[in-house]
Amino acid sequence: MNMNYVRPRDLAEAFAFLAENGRDTTIIAGGTDVMVDLRSGELDTRFLLDISRLDELKGIRLEGENLVVGATTTLSDIYHSELLTQYAPALQKSAYNFASTQIRNVATIGGNVAHCSPCGDTVPPLVIHETKVVFSGKKGERRIPIEEVATGPYRCFLEKDEIITAFILKPVEADFADFQKIGRRKDLAISRLSMAVMVDRDSDGIISSMKFSLGACTPTPHRMTAVEEFMTGKKVTCELLFEGGKLLAEKMIEITGRRPSIIYKEPAVQGLFVRMLYPVV
Amino acid sequence: MNKKYRSVGRSIRKKGGVEKVKGDPVFAGDIELDNPLVLKVKRSAYAHALIRNINTEEALKIDGVKGVFTSKDIPGVNLLGIINRDQPLLAEERVRSLADGIALVAAETEEAAQLGIDAIHVEYEKLPAVFNPVEALKDGAPKIHAKGNVLFTRAVLKGNADDGFEKAYSIIEKEYTTSAIEHNYMEPDAGAGFVDEDGCLVIYASTQNPHYDHKELVSLFALEDENVRIIQAATGGGFGSKLDLNVQGFIGLALLHLKVPVRYVYSREEAYLATAKRHPFTIKIKTATDRDGRLIATRVRAVCNTGAYGSYGIAVASRSAVHGTGPYSVENVDIEVKCVYTNQTYCGAMRGFGAPQMALAHESQMDLHAEVLGIDPLAIRLLNGLEVGSLSGTGQLLTSSVGFKDCLHAIAPYYEEAKKSWVSTCSTPFKRRGVGLGAMWYGIGNTGVQNPSTARVTMEPDGTVTVFTGCAELGQGSTTVLCQIVAEILGISPDEISMVVGDTRYTTNAGATSASRQTYISGNAVKDAAESLANVLLTEAVNRLQVPKNTLVLENGEVTTTGNPDCGIGIAVLAGRIHDKGGVLSWQGYFDPETVPLDPKTGAGVPYATYAFACQMAMVEVDTLTGEVTVEKVVAAHDVGRAIHPENVVGQICGGVAMGVGFALMEKFEQGKTESMKDYHIPTASDVPEVVAIIVESEEPTGPFGAKGVGEPALIPTAPAVINGISSALNYRIYDLPASLERVLEASIQAGHFGVQEE
Ligand SMILES: Cc1cc2nc3c(=O)[nH]c(=O)nc-3n(C[C@H](O)[C@H](O)[C@H](O)COP(=O)(O)OP(=O)(O)OC[C@H]3O[C@@H](n4cnc5c(N)ncnc54)[C@H](O)[C@@H]3O)c2cc1C
Repeated sequence: MNMNYVRPRDLAEAFAFLAENGRDTTIIAGGTDVMVDLRSGELDTRFLLDISRLDELKGIRLEGENLVVGATTTLSDIYHSELLTQYAPALQKSAYNFASTQIRNVATIGGNVAHCSPCGDTVPPLVIHETKVVFSGKKGERRIPIEEVATGPYRCFLEKDEIITAFILKPVEADFADFQKIGRRKDLAISRLSMAVMVDRDSDGIISSMKFSLGACTPTPHRMTAVEEFMTGKKVTCELLFEGGKLLAEKMIEITGRRPSIIYKEPAVQGLFVRMLYPVV
Repeated sequence: MNKKYRSVGRSIRKKGGVEKVKGDPVFAGDIELDNPLVLKVKRSAYAHALIRNINTEEALKIDGVKGVFTSKDIPGVNLLGIINRDQPLLAEERVRSLADGIALVAAETEEAAQLGIDAIHVEYEKLPAVFNPVEALKDGAPKIHAKGNVLFTRAVLKGNADDGFEKAYSIIEKEYTTSAIEHNYMEPDAGAGFVDEDGCLVIYASTQNPHYDHKELVSLFALEDENVRIIQAATGGGFGSKLDLNVQGFIGLALLHLKVPVRYVYSREEAYLATAKRHPFTIKIKTATDRDGRLIATRVRAVCNTGAYGSYGIAVASRSAVHGTGPYSVENVDIEVKCVYTNQTYCGAMRGFGAPQMALAHESQMDLHAEVLGIDPLAIRLLNGLEVGSLSGTGQLLTSSVGFKDCLHAIAPYYEEAKKSWVSTCSTPFKRRGVGLGAMWYGIGNTGVQNPSTARVTMEPDGTVTVFTGCAELGQGSTTVLCQIVAEILGISPDEISMVVGDTRYTTNAGATSASRQTYISGNAVKDAAESLANVLLTEAVNRLQVPKNTLVLENGEVTTTGNPDCGIGIAVLAGRIHDKGGVLSWQGYFDPETVPLDPKTGAGVPYATYAFACQMAMVEVDTLTGEVTVEKVVAAHDVGRAIHPENVVGQICGGVAMGVGFALMEKFEQGKTESMKDYHIPTASDVPEVVAIIVESEEPTGPFGAKGVGEPALIPTAPAVINGISSALNYRIYDLPASLERVLEASIQAGHFGVQEE
């Protein structure tokens, strides 16, 4: 019941605090998930460790071969970043319909990933960029593939004494990249389904490479390699898109089984796939 | 309209508008009291159960808990309900829904109150519950109230429907359903109160109905009228749900026993759990036309689920039955609406009282008939539309102010243009566009019952004017409109008038702010009072100016003679003289629309003195691959009689359209599942279309300056217009609200639009 708020001066202090109190601590960044869970009673914690003002965790930059996004980068920063327009446009687009301006101004990418909601909008774009997530603590750091961060819905692979400090993406200037989602209304809606894609084509318009990830439909994020392989080496037509979408729906059902929501999601996943890739036709 | 008005018809600055922008008005949750206790209600754990025992001992021991009350502590009649009394403030031997309150805790802090709630032990004997009204009607269904599960049935019968169907060229029979809807006003229910030095319970409340609240509290606690005072605090929306006694009764109960200041502000979750919803309807409708498309018969069998209590259920059933024909002339009518108890959270009034639900049915039917006969949806509405001389389903002859066809004509150019150039220019494949119409009529005021309003207009000897009205202002602008009416009659500026609103110590009953009635009914009441005052001023002026009374007018704060502006006398001078002579400067006004109660068997009668009419057109784009719907634009033509404040009318129309889009596309309250705005979607700004509001003024002779009402009419046509738009886009109809992603995508698939498109 009694909760203490702690704001470390730097990352080292945050690590030290977690090393000692990790079990009783919840990290808070933008707080847009934490505050909701506190109010509903789902979350009960002794310490709130506020990392939102640690400069070491902020910023988007190119480092050699890598595109590095700091964990407390806000969705608004992502929305406005020119580097992302160039090297990770799908990630940027995931910020467009993310919540509302007010939420985007505080919500962070680190919180979005660490919360491990199946509906996290930044996750499918991070998947197609083959992102490594940097988990750091007093003992050092480890780099975990984005697909392994969530061990299940709302369950994070993170140890109690670790913080996500950054995301390391493969920067790509693809021919075509996009993120799309469907919600119950046009803004401020959690994704019922979402997807991210990058496509490169050769001079004949044949897909030479494709990366595709589905969001909100499966308990944890998945790159859909079967769909990527099916599409690669083919010329994109409307028929092909419908076939690819159908395969996608099949693969999704292999993972989720036939739950009641499938009645909608099966055709909608196919439909959204077609709509998203139609500009490539 | 040849007379030039000075206040009426102008969008003057809203009374209290500047203060509102500055954040001055005090909402009930913000009232500053001396160390108020906070209140919390222990609600039922079961949808239906007998209460064997309530043990409050542990709760009373908790630090900070100052009182725990149950039904035993209610000294008067423990029953609420403006129309029918069936709802206890706190449950006695039975709970009928999860919303039912069992005990009230007063404590020093929210935390202590919650601990107190948790420490109350209730022994239940669980009873079988029923949630579906059709099930509740069956023999052997759990009985929710002693009188049985049917709250009320309204029949409307005219001619002989069977004969009509016999003669018909085309008959269409369908079933429609609508969902329960949460009002979701911006300000959750709130109130605060104290006991004054005379022992009077003074309660500030977020309410649509201060004088009814007063009556309910007096009866609950067996008090004298003067021992309860309700003051309407600034109120952040109501939409019908703040007609019920939400927090006021609990505040009163705590004040009665503890006599120290208390406050109660519902969390959003509590407002969702414990306040009324819009009645979900199941409507079976069969309509018939002749070869030309003229409606000749309609038969409606509808069931509405009122949940555990009546609230405004009788009004909803009655009004929906009366409005079941739609704004059309139908020779043979056979309508029956049953309002049925179940163990859901109770349903009550919500913007339109059943008319929006019914409009989905009659407007869908119109389009279906048009399609079968190969005529245009607008044409079939023009063919059948009510006009002066028409007889309604209740046998009422409409004698004036029937601007329905004017609304249709006003929409026509937009409609033709949209069909011609918008529908076909769809930007992308996998999207389809459609244009849909929705029409409505709406009786102003309560259905076939007296619903008077009273008001007082007072002039001081120095000429300053104060209007006292019990009419609750909910942000819709009634205070401004009433002020404009008085200003017009007295020939003064609205700025010079003080308004005293919704305080039962100083104001008299204006009836509820509901049923789109305040401009028409309270408008007439203030007009009546102002005219009495004007009359004494004019009489006094005759003395002074030595000219006949019928040549005198009130203008610019003076009485002048027509044609001779130089010969005038200020009203302040007149007021002083009247006062000195012992004359009366304070006048009470009254208005009750003339109605004839509906016959219990046939529904024949005059339910309303006047009706508003409207037609809206929705331009809708459907994503055939995902089921997403975009309402691009709504053109809304509303016959309001006369727009006293045109900008307010436009505001109501825009708000109504926004709410209608939610009703059409996304809103659905599911008991036990829907907790708060996290799982209940209302439209955001991005979901709301561009709205073109067209004001049609077909003057109502009995209205103040010809005015009727617009508050609820604004919402009613939107959902059917959107649904008809979706149907025209997909060539496939949706019969159930909301037209969610799932339903629209299914429609798209069924209609064959999901797949490779041929260019
Ligand atoms: C109204 C509303 C709308 C929303 N709409 C969307 C939407 O459209 N799309 C969407 O994806 N989400 C949405 N969300 C959810 C939420 O905003 C996002 O998940 C957001 O990215 C969370 O970031 P945050 O910084 O606020 O996280 P916080 O609430 O601060 O933290 C979330 C979780 O992550 C942990 N955490 C945070 N940072 C770190 C870190 N660096 N290392 C380790 N653990 C960490 C916290 O302990 C907590 O468990 C919405 C939320 C609200 C309230």
